[in-house]
Amino acid sequence: MAAVVLSSAAGGFAYFLPAVAEALDATGQAVAVPSPTPSSTGLLGSPTPSIATQTPGAFTVLLLGSDNDSKFIGDHVLTQSMILVRVNPATRKVTMMSIPRDLWVPLSTGGTGKIDGAYSYGGPGAAIATVENNFGVHIDDYIWIGLVGLINVINAIGGIDVVTSSPVMDDFYPADITGSNPYDYLRVAVMAGPQHLDGTNALQYVRSRHNDLQSDFGRSQRQQQVLLALRAKATQVSAADVPILAAALKGQIKTSMGLQRIAALLPVAGGIDTGAIQQIVLLAPYTHGCGCAQGYVVPVWSQILPLVRQYFP
Amino acid sequence: MISRFLLAAGLAVLMVVSGIGSYVYLGTRQTHLAAAPKEPTAAVPRPGAFRLPGTLFLTQSGAIYSLSAGRFHQLTPAAGWTQLALYPGSDLLAVNRSRLYSDVYILSRFGAVLRRLTNNTPTVRNTDTSARHWSFYPRLSYDQRTLFMSYDEPKVGYDVPLSIWAMPVGGTIRQARLWTTSIDYTGGDIQPLPLASGALLYTKFLYGPDNKLVSQIWLTTQPERPYQGLTAPPTGPGYGTPLTRPDEDCSQPSLSPDNHTMAMICTYKSQVSYLTLASFNGSTLGPRRSVITNQLVAQPTWAPDGSGIAYLAPAVAGAGFQLWWLPRLAYAPPLPSPVPTTFPSPGGPVSSPVPSQTPTAAPPPVVIKPIQITLNLGFDATSPMAWIP
Repeated sequence: MAAVVLSSAAGGFAYFLPAVAEALDATGQAVAVPSPTPSSTGLLGSPTPSIATQTPGAFTVLLLGSDNDSKFIGDHVLTQSMILVRVNPATRKVTMMSIPRDLWVPLSTGGTGKIDGAYSYGGPGAAIATVENNFGVHIDDYIWIGLVGLINVINAIGGIDVVTSSPVMDDFYPADITGSNPYDYLRVAVMAGPQHLDGTNALQYVRSRHNDLQSDFGRSQRQQQVLLALRAKATQVSAADVPILAAALKGQIKTSMGLQRIAALLPVAGGIDTGAIQQIVLLAPYTHGCGCAQGYVVPVWSQILPLVRQYFP
Repeated sequence: MISRFLLAAGLAVLMVVSGIGSYVYLGTRQTHLAAAPKEPTAAVPRPGAFRLPGTLFLTQSGAIYSLSAGRFHQLTPAAGWTQLALYPGSDLLAVNRSRLYSDVYILSRFGAVLRRLTNNTPTVRNTDTSARHWSFYPRLSYDQRTLFMSYDEPKVGYDVPLSIWAMPVGGTIRQARLWTTSIDYTGGDIQPLPLASGALLYTKFLYGPDNKLVSQIWLTTQPERPYQGLTAPPTGPGYGTPLTRPDEDCSQPSLSPDNHTMAMICTYKSQVSYLTLASFNGSTLGPRRSVITNQLVAQPTWAPDGSGIAYLAPAVAGAGFQLWWLPRLAYAPPLPSPVPTTFPSPGGPVSSPVPSQTPTAAPPPVVIKPIQITLNLGFDATSPMAWIP
């Protein structure tokens, strides 16, 4: 009897082995968070992040999305998408705040630059430290996903339903995923209204920013729409689908979260009411354009920090 | 000795079978979420399914299908076909979309290409992507001589908005006339719907008071005076007028066969969509009434005989858009007929006590629910349907 049980378990183990291998590879990534440089805290006068989260069980995750095509060398990628997510399992409340990629801040690696460069200079640790130093939050974990990973995971769950807020028209969309020349352009036309998007179209919808008056801010809103649609579809995924998802995300996802935390998080994620998710995009008066050739976004910390303290205590 | 060997061999076989069995069993528990939708001709409608009047044309994965007498027929190969509209003589207008441009064609009701109406195909080898053009949402004017469509001109730099253009059928884009001015960096104006009066309904995208990008249904009686496409369109003589509020976030206008009721999709700036009806007198909309509020509704299309509204919506979140039918009784229930009452008049021949005149409780209203026509397909929810009697 014990032998049969053992062999059945071995069959199950063999089924999940690729997923386990990928999970072990992608999760629990060590993060070296540089200590705040005097220049960064001194310049901003922003509060030092509190190490302990004040609400028991609540935690904050930094979601990072990157171009990782052949234009970039190794892990030196820009984070085109940076979203702070606060999850409170006790109240089942989630807050998502998109950080503009062009936000002009002191970087944890030294100097001042657009915040999307922090990762390229020092990996996830630098990205986390830069956000912590400037926003005065404590980040418990990070999740990084590449462009191809996003396409693959959406395709692996059979696409998502989204109400696209407007026609997304772009004559200069980067053809870095499909074409042979990563500096080529594609024409993109994602129609408006309720629709089913596959991975490629979903990426076009969240990535295009040329045909949007709000540029990166409009794109941040679209990214949050797609994340919520992903969450809605993920509730239909069964444990038996895990190997397929793991294969889709192979090498395209990294996180500091351990498997234990992920396992604890999954039932919470399924129980969260989408309508109760707070979505924040740092438009005016929280930021303003620089009016300069570099095209960076200037933070208004006197407006941002009270907001951050309210939603990311 | 032999029995021990047999026992060991049997156990080994049992272990192999149980190991493989658990592996295979787990495989069968996959949800197959990524399975491609069935082809309409292969799977549905179910036997004895509800039959819609006339012939309905829809698109899925770039192919055009007709639904007639409860059966689907594939009219074209899956080759970029989308956005259907009616053309005189039971023919169709359709957009054929490729990677870099799209064109409008006339097709027979059996899917044969009869004529190409636009020519956005680059004539010379040109690597400049912005030199290409999109034509979307074709509609014919009431006099059938003009093609209205969304076309991506004028465009400046990174801004590629769609504007509504009117082109003589058989003419070229150089003979076309600009009817609307799109707002900068919004995606533009789409879904033209020419009216018998010569006016035009369409969907405009603009930034609302809270700076959120929303859609609004507009009416213009003539080609709008060009203006700088700023955040707020001008109003007054020579310009269009909005029929819906920005916060309603409405699009996809569709008029009933008698032209007195508009069906539209309103999202109230959220990730849900409502099928909303409003009376239409040719210039204004009456009070709104949302008749479907619990589905992700798209492309409401009136039956030519006025017997109901077909629309697309997923049956399960994220599982592809199916065809649904909302019978007329669901949104226009008949007025209750007066119940004949016979009260004996006092002093009459009846000697029994006169019954009190307490009104009897009205029977509970019959709730008519939408009918799901297809089960496991994946229709293109951004492609209007076309319906002939």
